[in-house]
Amino acid sequence: MAQAQRGGSPGARRGRSLLARMEERTALFLLIPSFVILILIAFYPFGSVIWSSFTNARFASGEPTRYVGLDNYRRLLSVTIRELPVQRDASGAVVTKDGVKQYESWVRVLPRQPYRYRAVFEFGLLGKRFVVGAVSSAFVRAIWDTVVFTVIAVLFETILGLVIALTLSSNFPGRGGMRAAMLVPWAVITAVSARIWEWMLQPTRAGLFNTVLSYLGIGDGSINFFGQADLQLPSMIVMDVWKTTPFMALLLLAGLSVIPGELYEAAEVDGASRIRRFFTITLPLLSPTLAVALIFRTLDSLRVFDIFQIVLANQRFSMASYAQYLLIGQRELGMSSAASVVIFVLIFVFAVLYIRTLGVEKE
Amino acid sequence: MRRAIVALLVAAAVGSLAWAQVSITVAAGNVGQELALTKAAAQRYMDSHPGVTVNVLDTPDFVQDRLGVYLQVFEAKSSDVDVFQIDVIWPGDLAEHFIDLNQYVPKDVVDQHFPAIVKNNTVDGKLIGLPWFTDAGLLYYRTDLLQKYGFSGPPTTWDELQSMAKTIQDGERAAGNPDFWGFVWQGNAYEGLTCDALEWIKSSNGGTIISPDKVITINNQNAIDAVDRAAGWVGTISPPGVTSFGEEDARNMWQAGNAAFMRNWPYAYSLGNATDSAIQGKFDVSPLPAGPGGQPAATLGGWQLAVSKYSKHPDVAADVAMFLASPAEQKIRAIQGSFNPTVMSLYKDPQVLEAAPFFGSLYDVFINAVARPSTATAPNYNEVSTAFFNAVHDVLTGKENATDAMALLELDLQDITGFATGQP
Repeated sequence: MAQAQRGGSPGARRGRSLLARMEERTALFLLIPSFVILILIAFYPFGSVIWSSFTNARFASGEPTRYVGLDNYRRLLSVTIRELPVQRDASGAVVTKDGVKQYESWVRVLPRQPYRYRAVFEFGLLGKRFVVGAVSSAFVRAIWDTVVFTVIAVLFETILGLVIALTLSSNFPGRGGMRAAMLVPWAVITAVSARIWEWMLQPTRAGLFNTVLSYLGIGDGSINFFGQADLQLPSMIVMDVWKTTPFMALLLLAGLSVIPGELYEAAEVDGASRIRRFFTITLPLLSPTLAVALIFRTLDSLRVFDIFQIVLANQRFSMASYAQYLLIGQRELGMSSAASVVIFVLIFVFAVLYIRTLGVEKE
Repeated sequence: MRRAIVALLVAAAVGSLAWAQVSITVAAGNVGQELALTKAAAQRYMDSHPGVTVNVLDTPDFVQDRLGVYLQVFEAKSSDVDVFQIDVIWPGDLAEHFIDLNQYVPKDVVDQHFPAIVKNNTVDGKLIGLPWFTDAGLLYYRTDLLQKYGFSGPPTTWDELQSMAKTIQDGERAAGNPDFWGFVWQGNAYEGLTCDALEWIKSSNGGTIISPDKVITINNQNAIDAVDRAAGWVGTISPPGVTSFGEEDARNMWQAGNAAFMRNWPYAYSLGNATDSAIQGKFDVSPLPAGPGGQPAATLGGWQLAVSKYSKHPDVAADVAMFLASPAEQKIRAIQGSFNPTVMSLYKDPQVLEAAPFFGSLYDVFINAVARPSTATAPNYNEVSTAFFNAVHDVLTGKENATDAMALLELDLQDITGFATGQP
């Protein structure tokens, strides 16, 4: 381009040659197929999801569709906090049970019009008791669960992935075999690995974990990993960590391999300890890779669907599996679209936050 | 003359071409031998109808996923699939996508099937699905253990079941099997729990969640007591893990010889009597027990054949459905795959009874099976069922007491359906 400008042709006006303009036109022409494909497979579907999120459309139904504005979003995201009054008996005395003050049920406190609020969770503060209610309590809980799942799972994956990557980057006999073995969990299809874990975590001694734990004296061989509310998320996290730590390790291994060995040699000559070398050489030089790996994993696990859908089905939802439930289970195409848009916005916010704080732009 | 012959030949060619173009696709299940049996039946149809090609489409095993596939076909108003194998709970929800089979199927053919299923498949006077095979909840019991602990027969009430299960469980554990439990069933939060809980409630005079005339009846003392009773089983006669059991989890424990009683569908019968089963020949089936003053109740399951409204050849598709659901075809399925026929006369057929003796002894159970409230709540049955099994699951896992859970459920069901509330 610059060449053409300097050389100039007699017909060139405003400093652009005919050739350059022809090249530009060719470039645009060559880009058309990509644009068309992008519009067809990305913009059009996404646009129609946004459009249907403003309607009351039902999936696979002949019922007429109506524009409802922000109604779906209101139903999905309305949250309220109310104080729970202390329970009093007929004489007005405070009811206590085992010395603990009893509170009224949230059913009497949360609003019922225009939509009914259901309790998401209760908490105590300054001697009072509050309840958080939402119209779509399942969706609000799904958002919370997914974020908790993502933060804890990605944290473990990063730490374990780093340990594995550091181990595999050192020289030892059988390193190639170890690297291949490490990748096995990542290579297994999630649907299959979820089933394998389902069997291992069976609530009877037919499951591996219950058998081993009961030999160790933990539990009575009937720990209900998927049925007990406080064990559901930890089980999901364990499954996800097992599956995606190899991916993390692989990315970090690639990052490690580009750190020049001379740096370590020089540091060793200077008498830096192994720990010092890790924190002054490895970690700073690995941080761009780490940032990219973190973004990949975080965004990926925020839209987690498969393991929740396969193992917990209708018991407990991730954001994505709840959107699927709205579509197939309740056939609320409008609501499901709105949920998808909310998921998109949330993931977008996470992506921007990451890129800003970790300085990936500069790299 | 020659011209006439040519004209005739041309007409014949065109005619056969038009015939050859009729291609019917059947969306069918693939659980166990299901798909192979359906394909064989399709071949028999093609042999007798040379102008028709019948393709059998394999669909996902998990019911909710299969519904997802079907809904996508309907959303696109696609003519790709002509005949659908639909669950007993779907006619109401999906009625708008199917033709009225009464136009094609003679009344005497319809009347060969169990009236309860035909009624379930009839929406606003339209016959949505032709019954194909049926299912009903049964009580499996260990004949050897009942004898060993001195019981003369299977329990007839839930309380009896509870005490028998406790006795056998204590005895077997003392005899050295720490993994032995009294009673296994389906307690996970899914459609299977709706089936189980409906049996507890209905057999205790607690109604059917929502009555056929669209009244929400779930919030009554009998229903509350029934759910409470079941919650009491968890951790006593049933393993704590039963709250995440599906059909196969229960069957695995049962078939390994680690349970005295099991609630399950008929399919577990032939598997339990297979040569690799630990309990081969040591068990039998009976109707489920009843609550105080109630009659035993078995939830109605099973699958129907429905013809898509978007089919290009609804008449041929209806004929294929009629063929597949005919007594002759159902007999083959009953003998080869122990699928319960929906044709009443087959329960007296000696060849069928030889292959599956309990078809005869439990005829009353199958004919009196209780339907889930899918027709009354259409098109919201799935939402109703989800609210119901989640409420029951909360009671089973101790998150909520039955009184509150049923009161909350009543509110939820009012929100979903807009029906009035009342007593069963």
